[in-house]
Amino acid sequence: MDDRTVETIVAEHHGSLGGMLSILTAIQSEYGYLPEDALRRMAAATGESLTDIYAVVTFYKAFSLKPRGKHLVSVCLGTACHVRGAPKIAEEFIGQLGIASGETTPDKEFTLETVNCLGACALGPIVVVDGRYYSNVRKNQVAEILKRTREGLDQPRENRRFPLSVRCPHCRQSLMDAAHPIDNVPSIRLTMSWDGDSQPLYLSSLHGSLRSVCERETPAHSITVLACPMCGQDLVGDSRCSECGADMARMTIDKGATLMVCTRRGCAGRRLNLETTPAEAD
Amino acid sequence: MKTLTCFDDFKALHDRLRAQADPNTTTIVIPAGTCGIASGAAELIREAQRAILANDLAGRVALRVTGCHGFCQMEPSILVEPRRTFYPKVNPDDVERIVRAAALDEVIESLLPPGPMGGPCVATQDQIDFFARQARGVLSGNEKVDPTRIEDYIAQGGYSALVQALSRSDAGWVIEQIKISGLRGRGGAGFPTGKKWELARNARAVGGKKFVVCNADEGDPGAYMDRSLLEGNPHAILEGLTIAAVAIGATHGVIYVRSEYPLAIKHAQIALRQARDMGLLGEDILGSGTRFDIDIVQGAGAFVCGEETALIRSIEGRMGEPRQRPPYPIAKGIFGAPTCINNVETLANIPFIIRHGADAFAGIGVEGNTGTKIFSLVGKIRNTGLVEVPLGMPLKEVVHEIGGGPAGKTRIKAVQTGGPSGGCIPASLFDLPISYDSLTKAGSIMGSGGMIVMDENTCMVDVARYFMNFLKDESCGKCFTCRKGTQRMYEILEDITLGKGTPEHIDLLEELALVVKDTTMCGLGQSASNPVLSTLKYFREEYRRHVEEKRCDAYVCKNLVGAPCQAACPVDTEPWRYVALIEKGQYDEAYRIIRQANPFPAVSARVCDRKCESRCSLGVGGGESVAIRALKRFITDRVDPAVYRPEVRSTNGQARKIAVVGAGPAGLAAAHGLSLLGHKVTVLEAEQESGGMLACSLPAYRLPREIVRAEVATLMNENITVRHGVVFGQEVTLEGLSAEGFDAVFLAIGAHESWRLDLKGEDLAGVYPSMQFLKAFNLRGEELASGHVGIIGGGNSAVDAARVALRQKDVTSVTLLYRRTRGEMPAYEEEVEAALEEGVTIETLVSPVKIRVRQEEIETALREGVELETLVSPIRICSREGRLVGIECIRNRLGDLDASGRRRPVPVPGTEFTLQFDTLIVAIGERPQSAPLAAMGLATDKSGRVKVDPKTLATSVEGVFAGGDLVTGPNTVIDAIAAGKKVADVIDRYLRGEPLVEPAEAKLPTVFLEPADVDEEDLENTTRAVPPVLPVEKRKKNFREIEKPLSAEQARAEARRCLRCDLAFTQERQPVCGQSAAVGEEYA
Repeated sequence: MDDRTVETIVAEHHGSLGGMLSILTAIQSEYGYLPEDALRRMAAATGESLTDIYAVVTFYKAFSLKPRGKHLVSVCLGTACHVRGAPKIAEEFIGQLGIASGETTPDKEFTLETVNCLGACALGPIVVVDGRYYSNVRKNQVAEILKRTREGLDQPRENRRFPLSVRCPHCRQSLMDAAHPIDNVPSIRLTMSWDGDSQPLYLSSLHGSLRSVCERETPAHSITVLACPMCGQDLVGDSRCSECGADMARMTIDKGATLMVCTRRGCAGRRLNLETTPAEAD
Repeated sequence: MKTLTCFDDFKALHDRLRAQADPNTTTIVIPAGTCGIASGAAELIREAQRAILANDLAGRVALRVTGCHGFCQMEPSILVEPRRTFYPKVNPDDVERIVRAAALDEVIESLLPPGPMGGPCVATQDQIDFFARQARGVLSGNEKVDPTRIEDYIAQGGYSALVQALSRSDAGWVIEQIKISGLRGRGGAGFPTGKKWELARNARAVGGKKFVVCNADEGDPGAYMDRSLLEGNPHAILEGLTIAAVAIGATHGVIYVRSEYPLAIKHAQIALRQARDMGLLGEDILGSGTRFDIDIVQGAGAFVCGEETALIRSIEGRMGEPRQRPPYPIAKGIFGAPTCINNVETLANIPFIIRHGADAFAGIGVEGNTGTKIFSLVGKIRNTGLVEVPLGMPLKEVVHEIGGGPAGKTRIKAVQTGGPSGGCIPASLFDLPISYDSLTKAGSIMGSGGMIVMDENTCMVDVARYFMNFLKDESCGKCFTCRKGTQRMYEILEDITLGKGTPEHIDLLEELALVVKDTTMCGLGQSASNPVLSTLKYFREEYRRHVEEKRCDAYVCKNLVGAPCQAACPVDTEPWRYVALIEKGQYDEAYRIIRQANPFPAVSARVCDRKCESRCSLGVGGGESVAIRALKRFITDRVDPAVYRPEVRSTNGQARKIAVVGAGPAGLAAAHGLSLLGHKVTVLEAEQESGGMLACSLPAYRLPREIVRAEVATLMNENITVRHGVVFGQEVTLEGLSAEGFDAVFLAIGAHESWRLDLKGEDLAGVYPSMQFLKAFNLRGEELASGHVGIIGGGNSAVDAARVALRQKDVTSVTLLYRRTRGEMPAYEEEVEAALEEGVTIETLVSPVKIRVRQEEIETALREGVELETLVSPIRICSREGRLVGIECIRNRLGDLDASGRRRPVPVPGTEFTLQFDTLIVAIGERPQSAPLAAMGLATDKSGRVKVDPKTLATSVEGVFAGGDLVTGPNTVIDAIAAGKKVADVIDRYLRGEPLVEPAEAKLPTVFLEPADVDEEDLENTTRAVPPVLPVEKRKKNFREIEKPLSAEQARAEARRCLRCDLAFTQERQPVCGQSAAVGEEYA
């Protein structure tokens, strides 16, 4: 751990509301758990004693001092789930994975945890695997859920994707590039500029796919300028990315239909707007 | 996004957005809150986008992705505006059709939700019962806005309340409005919000700081309205919070939200960014000079942080331990500065009050409890989701009308409100109006609005244990009594659920609960006893059953249940064991296992009501239960009963004389049991044939006579004498039996007297009580029915009488009349279809009968040609020349719910009609003929049932015991056998001067049987075995047995489906390789 991650996190959150909680949450989301070394560095950077940090870490359920597996299985044991048989579902996971709640399988594939309530009470029993919610889970579905997770199936964003065809909102020329297909469909060609360097950027036109190709990769999270390769106009629109807050580039699909793409490199922010009243005249 | 710098800017934007938002635009609305996404909303969205583009509808059909609309159970769903067509549980493959229909302003009827009780489809969302009875104020915003678009919120009038608050010169105006509205805190305690704000306003800022906090640490398991609001309409919360800041002069705002709500956090973050960009938060809000901004602080999983002092500690980044109050946070909160904490739903109500007027809000609800409250109606209920109703609405309206009553055939037992700090309200109190005060009075609390419905499959001791487990984990540990008290209460409850409980456990639990309540500091500790105290208050009998009888009637407490099939069997059969033996091909041993528990295996294999199957883990876990009765039939059909040779106990000349009155299943089981214990038994039977109801009531096509005779014969031995044709109360009396030297008497004369309609003409020729009709045929072969036959009633004997009548040679038609409907039975669809297939006409809207008989029985009757008339009651019997010609009936509608949660039939005046009948059979129930028994000094109840001690079956007369239908009223065969079996032991103890019953013990599997090597994939592909049956055309007008046994292949495959619940109790006791252990001992 020779990067400055912990120090950067501390600098960002120190003195703000939430204090240690925010710092610990950020560290955990960086490493997946709270490594001892990170906590020591946090102590040094914040001036808090390691004892106080340890007290906070162990007080709250969300923090883990142990590394967690590749997949996180959370079985909800809220009251509504409980009366609908959640304990039997939890037992089934415990039996099939061969670990107790809070533990990780020896192959580091799965971590199993039980949680008090995930707030989807009408659909209980609820199980969340890697952020994917399973509702009304029955005991005989547990094996299938684990199998699909292991095989990497069931990612909703893989389902029902379809290709889009976009134009520049300014010069109205097509941005589609059949010569550089991505995901087996013509890509969307833009000009990406960052730090004085301009180059073509090819985005997958498959709605639901985040793939993109460029020659010289920019640093992660850098905010770029995306322009039309034909008329050279900046495509930036007036809305911001719901994932990261950066500006979004806007392309026209059809009357009232626009595709917004985040200008931050690597951000998953994309949005297909379907309105009957176009925000701006095309 | 342009920053707005003055009120005029805002107004211009609002007017522009408003003008753009055409309410008549065709819009596909897809709810995609956490619950929507969990149900597959993401696929619907993508499919809708594709369909709009592919059909060239962009610009004509809009798509709006919103938060949760509240009817989570129906998700993923689509709402089409402006028609407001509601499509529930949409398959992604149907989205394109929906989009195309919407564009043409058409509706796809086949995808609409069915109307109530099978009626016509409901066209709009607002006509659905679930929505129609709600009063949606706060929640209505969720379907109108895309939560990631501030423009949507402003177009709906959003932030205009803030502008109003900012533009008032009189600073106290907002607080005055909130006070007039009567709004009370929606987070639990119900403190008046206006009063809280006034205190906060008067508190002096510390270090220039004053905080206002939105508490979104919705920790109560089972409540999720805060998540839904923050996810679905985040700007409403920001607006409410900012108005609060303006009202009290706060400088900083905080939204404290639990980390379990990632989507709520995301949407709140987006909303904050948009509000800042637009100038609705920040240094100078809309140029008003007001400075205010909001931070989000994420919780990290600690229930206690919902308590305000703990929440403050957590916002400060510390352990969330509560502290003593006062000082209250209003005076001393975050870093010592005054802090005003409000719940999410409270804040969501603020813009509503300012915009629509405080008086309008105060006009909703009841005095002292104004406005609406959102409840999360979840658990064992048909319609689950978020409901918003005016305070003061009776609980039963929420549960039965909006919630639609129980989810299946079960009965609702209680509603738990208020989360771990609340309590359980029993169904008997459902008339209660919902308000802060009434719930507290009933021993629960409003809390944040969780309403968890529990039915008879919910164990209340387990619920108390569940909450105590939760609370002991969540107790911060600061107060000793809470830390240790919740731990000890949990241990006591755990003991009880494990079967180790004693009556002292319950006393100690209650004492401890009261101490913890009185001696802890914060709300968590003070209310921690509520789940225990309220369940003890209303469900003490369940606790008693656990500790004294070692029974968990909800089948939840594993160590009391063991193998559910075994626990369900009234005669303690071990179904798992003979099912396993069938799998191994050990048929003789399987027979012995069946027979040692049940003296009537062949009879039970045909007519048992299969309590075992209804509890089978395979069925409960999502599959089809094992066909246990069919497997029993397979064994009893092929194994010679002689393989079981019961031993007769030697009494060393101490044999006693016992009289058993009645040779039905109860009497014969008792006689057999006593004879094996060495006693001399005399059985007295009124009819000329043994068997009781088995012989005189059950039709031969279900239970062939030779099976009954053969089985009865196997029970006889030299210790038993049967005297037929002896009517108790006439030839014989208790006194007489005593004089004859009998040491004890068991009365089991059944329930043979039919209830009367109490209509004039009931004694006409052609009108028969069902028992008379059935006995005449079953015992003497007389066919009393002819022509058009009417049967009145809906119970077992009504259906039996109908099917027997159908088989009599002079009968033309059979019609069954019943006063209620089948109501909400889930078997509905198949049954109606099957009935229609057979050519049955169903006249009423609400189709077949609510008959207290197994569904397949009705279905078979329909298939054989019995006609059904429901929702009718006879009012007059019509006659000509002393002979029946028909009956006049009146139609009923379903009225209010009775105590059982079923709707009462209410006659509809003016709907009288006449039906022509040549024979009328009255089958509205039976009762014991116990008048002579009462004369002999036996205590009976008003239904003629003999009163006994349920544990010993002892009557009010010394040495006289009673059981079977005589005690229970009409009941199942297996329960009668169980009573006979039990009384044999009791009488033996009585005669030996021992205590009549031993302390109860849970009946757990003890014998290990090697599990079969079953391939899981194979198992998934096998369905429940269905025994072959005689086709309809081959069974009309005859009494041949309808059901046939399974084949050997079928039986083995069926046995392999068993999940072997027994292994959990027997497997661990097996020796591991290399270790030696006495396996034989297990068999001892």
